Amino acid sequence: MAILEVKNLKKSFGKTSVLKDVSFSMQRGEVVSIIGSSGSGKTTLLRCINFLEKADSGKIILDGDIIFDGAATKQFTAAEIRQKQLNFGFVFQSFNLFPQYNVLDNVLLAPKLLAKERCTGVQEREAAYKEIEKKAKALLEKAGLDGKLGNYPCELSGGQQQRVAICRALVQGPKIMLFDEPTSALDPEITNEVLKVIKSLADEDMTMIIVTHEMTFAKNISDRVIFMDKGVIAEEGAPDELFTNPKSDRLKEFLSNVRM
Amino acid sequence: MNATLQSLFKGFAQNGIIFAVTLLLAIPLGLIITFGSMSKFKPLKWLTKTFVWIIRGTPLMLQIFVVLYAPGLLFEFPMRSRMTAVLVAFIINYAAYFSEIYRGGIESIPKGQYEAGQVLGMTKSQVFFKVVLFQVVKRIMPPMSNEVITLVKDTSLARVAGVMEIIMSAERFTKQGLIWPLFSTGLYFLIFNGILTLLFGYIEKKLDYYRG
Repeated sequence: MAILEVKNLKKSFGKTSVLKDVSFSMQRGEVVSIIGSSGSGKTTLLRCINFLEKADSGKIILDGDIIFDGAATKQFTAAEIRQKQLNFGFVFQSFNLFPQYNVLDNVLLAPKLLAKERCTGVQEREAAYKEIEKKAKALLEKAGLDGKLGNYPCELSGGQQQRVAICRALVQGPKIMLFDEPTSALDPEITNEVLKVIKSLADEDMTMIIVTHEMTFAKNISDRVIFMDKGVIAEEGAPDELFTNPKSDRLKEFLSNVRM
Repeated sequence: MNATLQSLFKGFAQNGIIFAVTLLLAIPLGLIITFGSMSKFKPLKWLTKTFVWIIRGTPLMLQIFVVLYAPGLLFEFPMRSRMTAVLVAFIINYAAYFSEIYRGGIESIPKGQYEAGQVLGMTKSQVFFKVVLFQVVKRIMPPMSNEVITLVKDTSLARVAGVMEIIMSAERFTKQGLIWPLFSTGLYFLIFNGILTLLFGYIEKKLDYYRG
């Protein structure tokens, strides 16, 4: 069964139609890259899946549960949307770390607040905090940041900041990781250290959607690549097939313009 | 000499009370006004904006008179205490100014901070109090220190309501041919503001442990 199904998703900002009937589905453990030129709707699609934007119509089904239905009359409450958002880990282009907290606290802040809400007794809460801290430290160590736990975001390189942001998203145990151009704000030199972390997640069968301009990376890491153009999925397929043998003229043109 | 100094100190204590009470109450009240002026509910937003416009657009001296006389003349409910009238006027006036400083600070926080909190499952109030507020505090410290220093000097306006603050109490001595008490009041303000300047410098330095 598909872990995520997006059906006929539409979204406009004012009069500009950004998503025009987008449908796709993905299996558990699958890595899907979304490529396309700026303004093609890649980022909006990702943000609609995670409720950062509310789609106008269509359906999103996660693990058999309808998490979004544009036709439904009932509006979701803020608490319901929050619950749904926790199914996803979201990594931003501009990292968006909290500048006043050190690396460890950036990762701990949200899960600790959640634990505080869920646990009733003091002992239960302390145990939950310990568990979260253990998990956070393990994640940061794996991302090569164990020496940086006490540092503030402003003391880190862009690559390190983005790795912290990835850990921060992972600590919540999301079902699907969403990456919105995770390396677009980075020097080519440090792009690789972030890509390596994403690659290691793929090796652990994490389900991921990656919006990216890194064609080589998309080709290497993805099980499937989606090419978006003007708000629709213009072409999709296995990376080897899509990159070496593009069918649509638009994709041919796009690939000839980007550096591989 | 000793008696003169004593009466100056007594006067300055009044300035100190106005300063402290105004600061203590205008800081939280300003935040409430900020929420009003940033509200998505249009009538509340415009009502708050009009209120801020009136308070910032008229002299504080006039506002003190209004608070002092309006309750008695309009509602037959005279102000019992002149000090209370002064405090009410000061608190409202400074809360309006603070609210605009807060608004500027809140609006300067990048949208990504809110979104990051949101995707991590934080509630709106958690995002505000755990993520945004501290960053706002850091950013508004310089304009706030400006405003607070102005407040110290504005406390001398209390004399228009007959509150015996330092300049008013010093002025009496000129009638006895003594001019130094009046001029010396400047020193009180200077020293007090000097201490505040050092304090704000210290806070800004403390908050400088991160950038962004």
